[in-house]
Amino acid sequence: MTARVDLPIPIPHRIETVRAYKSRGGRIAAVLPIHYPRALLRAFDILPVELWGPPQVDATRGSAHLQPYVCSIVRNALAYLLSGGLDLADLIVVPHTCDSLQGFASILIDFIHPTQPVLWIYLPRGNHAGNVAFLADEFRALYRRLAEITNRAPSDAELLESNRREESADARLADLHRQRGALPPTVVEFYRLVRSREYLPAETFIEIAERVGGLSTLPPRGSAHDRLPLGKIPLLLSGIIPEPMGIFDALDRLNAVVVADDFAGCGRRLYPPGKSDDPFERMAERILAAPPDSTRGSAIQERLQHLLRLAQTSGAKGIVFYDVKFCEPELFYLPALRKGLQDAGIPSLVIEIDLSDPLSQQVLTRLEAFLEMIA
Amino acid sequence: MSAADSLRFYAGVNLGCAALRLNRWRAERTAPRRQSEYLAPPLKISPRTKELIARHYLEGRYANGHRKVAWVASGAPVELLKALDFYVLYPENHAALCGTARAVEEIATEAEHAGYSRDICSYARTDLGAMLSGKTPVGRLPKPDLLLACTNICQTVLFWYRVLAHHFDVPLIVIDTPFIYTEATDHAAEYVKRQMEESIPIAEKVAGKKLDERRLKETTRLSKMASQLWLEIMERGRHRPAPISVFDQFIQMAPIVEMRGDAFTVDFYAAMLKEVEGRIARGIGAVKNEKKRLLWDNLPIWYRLRYLGEFLGARGVAIVASTYTNAWGELAPMIDPEHPMESGARTYLHPILNRGTGYKLATMKRMVVDYGLDGAILHNDRSCKPYSVGQIDQRDRLLREHHVPALLLEADHNDPRAFSEEQAANRLEAFVEMLGV
Repeated sequence: MTARVDLPIPIPHRIETVRAYKSRGGRIAAVLPIHYPRALLRAFDILPVELWGPPQVDATRGSAHLQPYVCSIVRNALAYLLSGGLDLADLIVVPHTCDSLQGFASILIDFIHPTQPVLWIYLPRGNHAGNVAFLADEFRALYRRLAEITNRAPSDAELLESNRREESADARLADLHRQRGALPPTVVEFYRLVRSREYLPAETFIEIAERVGGLSTLPPRGSAHDRLPLGKIPLLLSGIIPEPMGIFDALDRLNAVVVADDFAGCGRRLYPPGKSDDPFERMAERILAAPPDSTRGSAIQERLQHLLRLAQTSGAKGIVFYDVKFCEPELFYLPALRKGLQDAGIPSLVIEIDLSDPLSQQVLTRLEAFLEMIA
Repeated sequence: MSAADSLRFYAGVNLGCAALRLNRWRAERTAPRRQSEYLAPPLKISPRTKELIARHYLEGRYANGHRKVAWVASGAPVELLKALDFYVLYPENHAALCGTARAVEEIATEAEHAGYSRDICSYARTDLGAMLSGKTPVGRLPKPDLLLACTNICQTVLFWYRVLAHHFDVPLIVIDTPFIYTEATDHAAEYVKRQMEESIPIAEKVAGKKLDERRLKETTRLSKMASQLWLEIMERGRHRPAPISVFDQFIQMAPIVEMRGDAFTVDFYAAMLKEVEGRIARGIGAVKNEKKRLLWDNLPIWYRLRYLGEFLGARGVAIVASTYTNAWGELAPMIDPEHPMESGARTYLHPILNRGTGYKLATMKRMVVDYGLDGAILHNDRSCKPYSVGQIDQRDRLLREHHVPALLLEADHNDPRAFSEEQAANRLEAFVEMLGV
């Protein structure tokens, strides 16, 4: 496998990973954002490969089924599916993340009928005593569907072992986030590395993450705060997904560095280990204990406190909300979050992007002005 | 609760109600100001509707300090709160009222100035604008003591109510209803029931009283009766000519949305049913010269109800059925007043908006047959993704597989800035021509 970026340790390509996994008899699940039980899929020898759009595809085919006010993550995903981009996938998993993904899954099931089976899970909203039990039941239902599809029935021990592997990978991912300022990769390389968790098997990710983590100049429990690059403006990024990734190069050119993130696809998926001995409950506990997330309907105050904590521990001087246009979950929170941040002396900027478009000059100008203001 | 607040409530509401009764009495005895050449006169019950709505908001105006106030999403299990004597306000309903009063642009702009994007639901923007500015055509909205959101109509209400909870700093009950792609699972029903049970102590604490099970059963019984009557009224649309149009239904649906569980709501719909049956007996159609009959899908375009009614009516087109108004009646058979929690969990899990796109298509197909319809208008509503996503395929299936002419009409349920009258007129004109009118 070849290196995709100029990291000291090569990261396998997505397509190569998929082909390699299939060639040894495994199956591939195309998984839509955001939260889902990786361990459950892997216990069936199914590799989850996440589908965040993808960016900059011809969205025309998606537009034949979806209105223009549906976000580009969903529209592009449908276009990609309809143009054969998911032909290597054996099944499609759609977590119920928002109204648009709800509609996406529904039209796949009812009208489009892709060749692959479409499976769904509903993620509980609100803080209810029964959330873990409900989500565990959703995972049990998913288990039954997967068993039908694969003719396999992993035991509880196998499920727990799969859980353990994913927990270990997520612990390495959390380490990378913590050590980010003391790691050799540039910011864009760092995000290619952490986003490889979207498709790499946990064991491969662990190996790479440990090797990269070994290059850290931090003591084992140190904070990246003390390793801020000199002269760079430290920023915290929030939003759904850092696409187009050109944002990182642009920030680098503008003399800024991303020191922490609250992306739904990155920092909001730092799942802590579960506690239960029941594998399904353990998977549910992990997802429900993740950092606050708009798509899970977290309270505004919870999200605000989380952002303030991130800003404080990372030394960020400002926050950029880098959101996908038409993302209602994110849009509702912005005014109150920005006000709370402003009251705490942390300036913020909102940028809306469409995955089909490159980073515009207008966005760069706004970033430049914002950075000048906070420098 | 203070004695002064209660005194203010009774004085304000009693005086106001007397004035409203007088207004109704006058309206019932005078001819409607605007007579249409193409449409039947408004229903005689309309002044009573107006009185009910005005009285509801009047009570709200004086409610703080006298009664506990809950702001509730339209699909939420309100019977629990009614049984605890909450004054219940429906922000969506209030927003729609702002829409019909053509006040949205001014009020929603207040929310937009505060940073709320124009890409979020226009109901939410309207109410957040009212919350921030105090602007409302109803005088004044009471502050909530409790919020109740239910995700069975959209996820939007959850985010919206998070904003309300943050702003007012009051408890928020979320009843989360897993979306039904194919069939509801037992664990989903159990999950909803548990949440409803969990919500009781929270609501009791705010109400300062214990929930009386008999009251809950009675409220549930009244809800069921009103919903059944509403369903019957809509089903009278099967007659030719249809005695009421969906534009009438949109106006008359306010009580079933915001006054479920009240005895006067049952009386109101019983009276309305009687009037509708009287129209059938006398051969009165909502459209005077009914030539074609259509289905309406999605929310109304609140700020253009009359325009659309007149436009279509002038061409002999009556819209006689709607998936939207139907949603407020179709679940009536599921409600069991003897088992309010169990049946409530099932009922509130099953609104059309919480079900898959295939179920909605099946509902439309059934309505086309039952109501003898010639086509369908699918309001492609920029502000309502859960209702609108899927419509492109639904329209396609109606046309290709069922040979039902169908039009996608782009608009927004509450924001007139997203509606182009000229474009809509062109599309409607072409559609009506295609129907052969």
